[in-house]
Amino acid sequence: MSHDTAAHAAAHGSVWRRWVFSTDHKVIGCQYLFTGMAMAVIGGLMSYVFRMQLAWPDAPVPGYGVVSPGEYNALVTNHGSIMIFWVAMPVLIAALGNFLIPLMIGCDDMVFPRLNRLSYQIFLLSALVLLGSLAVPGGGFGGAWTSYPPLSAKGAYNLTPYGAPLWLVAVALEFVAFLLGGINFVTTVMNARAPGMKASYIPMVVWMIIIASILFMASVGPLVAGAVMLLFDQILGTRFFDPAGGGDPLLWQHLFWFFGHPEVYVVLLPAMGIVAEIITVFSRKKLFAYNTVLLTAAGTGVLSFLVWAHHQFVAGIDPRMAHLFTVTTLLISIPIAEMTFVFIATLYGGSITFPTPMLFALAFIAEFLIGGVTGIFLGSSGTDIYLHDTYFVLAHFHYTFFPIAIIATFAALYFWFPKMFGRMMNDTLGKIHFWGTVIPFNFIFIPLFITGMGGDHRRIYSYENFPMQMTPFLQELRIVATVSLVILLLFQVVFLFNFFWSLFRGPKAPANPWRANTLEWTAPSPPPHGNFATMPSVYRGPYEYSVPGRADDYWPQHVAN
Amino acid sequence: MIEWLVPEASTYARDIDWLFTSIFLTVGFWFLLAQAVFFWLLFRFRRRDGVPAQYITGEEKAEKRWISIPHALVIACDVFLIAATVMVWRNVKQVLPPADETIRVIGQQWAWTFVHPGPDQQLGTEDDVTEVNELHVTNGTVYHFELTSKDVLHSFSVPAFRLKQDAVPGRIITGWFQPTTIGQYDIQCAEICGIGHALMPARLYVETESAHAAWLRDRQA
Amino acid sequence: MALLKRVGRAAGCGLFALTLAAPVEAGAQDVARGAQLFDTCVPCHGANGAGSLDRRAPVIAALPAWYVATQIGNFKAGRRGYHPDDAAGLQMRPMAMALFTDADVQAVAAYVATLPPVPPTDVGGGDAGRGQTAYAVCLACHGPDGMGNEQLKAPPIARQGDWYLVAQLDNFKSGRRGSAEGDVTGMQMRGMSATLADQQAVQDVAAYVRTLRK
Repeated sequence: MSHDTAAHAAAHGSVWRRWVFSTDHKVIGCQYLFTGMAMAVIGGLMSYVFRMQLAWPDAPVPGYGVVSPGEYNALVTNHGSIMIFWVAMPVLIAALGNFLIPLMIGCDDMVFPRLNRLSYQIFLLSALVLLGSLAVPGGGFGGAWTSYPPLSAKGAYNLTPYGAPLWLVAVALEFVAFLLGGINFVTTVMNARAPGMKASYIPMVVWMIIIASILFMASVGPLVAGAVMLLFDQILGTRFFDPAGGGDPLLWQHLFWFFGHPEVYVVLLPAMGIVAEIITVFSRKKLFAYNTVLLTAAGTGVLSFLVWAHHQFVAGIDPRMAHLFTVTTLLISIPIAEMTFVFIATLYGGSITFPTPMLFALAFIAEFLIGGVTGIFLGSSGTDIYLHDTYFVLAHFHYTFFPIAIIATFAALYFWFPKMFGRMMNDTLGKIHFWGTVIPFNFIFIPLFITGMGGDHRRIYSYENFPMQMTPFLQELRIVATVSLVILLLFQVVFLFNFFWSLFRGPKAPANPWRANTLEWTAPSPPPHGNFATMPSVYRGPYEYSVPGRADDYWPQHVAN
Repeated sequence: MIEWLVPEASTYARDIDWLFTSIFLTVGFWFLLAQAVFFWLLFRFRRRDGVPAQYITGEEKAEKRWISIPHALVIACDVFLIAATVMVWRNVKQVLPPADETIRVIGQQWAWTFVHPGPDQQLGTEDDVTEVNELHVTNGTVYHFELTSKDVLHSFSVPAFRLKQDAVPGRIITGWFQPTTIGQYDIQCAEICGIGHALMPARLYVETESAHAAWLRDRQA
Repeated sequence: MALLKRVGRAAGCGLFALTLAAPVEAGAQDVARGAQLFDTCVPCHGANGAGSLDRRAPVIAALPAWYVATQIGNFKAGRRGYHPDDAAGLQMRPMAMALFTDADVQAVAAYVATLPPVPPTDVGGGDAGRGQTAYAVCLACHGPDGMGNEQLKAPPIARQGDWYLVAQLDNFKSGRRGSAEGDVTGMQMRGMSATLADQQAVQDVAAYVRTLRK
């Protein structure tokens, strides 16, 4: 059925049909990828504007002008929303999931190709609604990406009577898009695997995307309902979250974080999967303890539903509840630490090379460790009293999200670029880009840990009214962070150049440039409609590298012996 | 470690800073260990001609020890940290010592209103002193605060006290603090509350008993 | 709107750099900076300074620069917007605090003064006839046409919506405005407002001022 549709599209071969209304999973993956990259540029430039304001308050930001408090709020709100919902989600889950799942499990397309196309179209609409919300009278929504009512519920409070509902509509549409995509991913992996592909032969990145999709689908329901209720509060005058009308503002917080915390693992797990694929290939090693990784991922998934109220320790919940959520939150450190140990153990006894994708994958592990350990300070309710909503929190989650959404994504792009576009990226430019990204990244957020410990609260556009925060020491740290951000953004030009230049001029890629085992590398680069000339069968797991007694140090899954 | 950056001005500030330092040392140990092993492996097992990679599944019992032993150690650390956290949290948020005086704190867009009990030390009487963006307290006195909001969420944050509590409209949340150091400190709003969020700075004055009495007299004259 | 406007402004940024290099009249630069800083005021007072009854924000378009600067100064220093029951004043005070230097206060005031006058929103009510009698007290400073007098530091009131006049007279009468140290004209107004016996008298005066508009 799906093959017919693809063939039908190919037969009609117009540009319009092939690139815009295609049902081919690879094209849809690329649509998600390019949309996500465009949104990343927008989100990155927003961070430039508000970091400049923080470093040099009230001075006109070059290319923008003076930042007013309302605009600052809109910028930080939309930066956060964009980076999580319109960059991390579409690139890590939708783009890579769409591109990789059928190729890695050895089928010709998703089982619901039209649903897949609809998913992207709704996603694109959501992105356009969000960008549109920045241009309506009153400006973009500025109530933070968490959108806590009553601030978000009433135009009289947030002063963005059009921006706030549009933001909410955009987020709800985005959820719908990913629900459709998630159903498709899970069904495809359940039903369309190549002959012989047992559960334990599925590559880790596919497992991780599936677990992430299940987490997303299981957690997002309450928030979609909450979003509709909040929208009603905004435009119909209902009072679900308004205490004056018998509602409760804390209800939203529970609904939001019941989704919001699993969401962290929704994006983390695919990143972990990417890293598993890349470190095994470039250390020529079997993944250490495949089953353990799977178990820790499942354990993380289950626990992630039981930790949400650690975002609300000081929000007015019953103080006795905090103990429960401290325990679950610190417990989640166990599977995540274990997964990290597994990756480190995989390196043992390897024959490690360091091309660009491997550098990014290794940087993910090293940097994510910082994000992981600083989470303990916040999961502990006692220290969270002080650190809640300070820059310590901000630095912590950027040390998780930046490795996830940026570093792991770059690892994946450099790694699968040859398969996606049939050409190689330049490795020297890749390494320049790597160091130009990872070094400034640390110089942005290490100082912000310190300003957070020094009492800087988030979403404050200027500290000039706070004598304890306006010290030269803290201000210098803010300037270091801003300058590092500008350097980091400039180095992304190297990546964009490398990406687009290689897209058209890069050397032609062979089918399997990295000598990897998984099925996507048996297809031509780039794979045609239908993916495989002959549909592959699977004989072994994905990580049989350096098996003793074989001439080659890799043993592809589809080779019979 | 926080005390290097922000003075400790309440009784429980020291507890929270101690907890922070304990966590720092615990996770710092793990962090350094993991990074050291990680970089050593990268160096030790870099590709060398003629040295193939080893085939290790990680499924054998002996191999799994490399995961299960750190796993047990992480659990041990977690148990210690949970115990320490529970102690600190109980002390700061859960069990309130009896109050000498009670103040009322009201957040609104975009100001803090503080209702101080007057010389009679009773809230809700004629001699209450209401101030916008100024909170005056006596050093050493145990205070309860009754926190609420008139419109949206705010968060009453006094970094020097290590005190933070969200103000929720429709609820009165009671908490406590006992100042230990005379001085002036910032009060911030820590929950986004609209375009004036950064512009509702209030000041906290921790005073001696006589200075506080003088201030009260001055306010009632 | 503001963000989109900024994109346009970004395009003009190169030009702006050029104009900085050329010797420009100081006043013009003030107004340019004031126009940028005015973004802080837009959420309540609107891009044209017409104010908003819903947001309890008065008309500010075409107010004289000296008055705007004085009042921003009062808000910043806590001479206005200091009372816990003055909700609108407490919202305005932080916004004034967003202007960190006197130069920025002057720049915004200069820009506000350049905005063309706009008709205010009224809620109606009150008896203009009776109000005329009461207005005799106001006349000396605010003038027979309600357009104020800079020498006497009296602002034009004829361009203001009646609800705002009522709100401010109430504030003066109850001490929510004009009782702070250093607010000389505010203290005068406290005395003047005391001559209005009750809420009806306040509304009548506002009704009369409505008739002064051309």
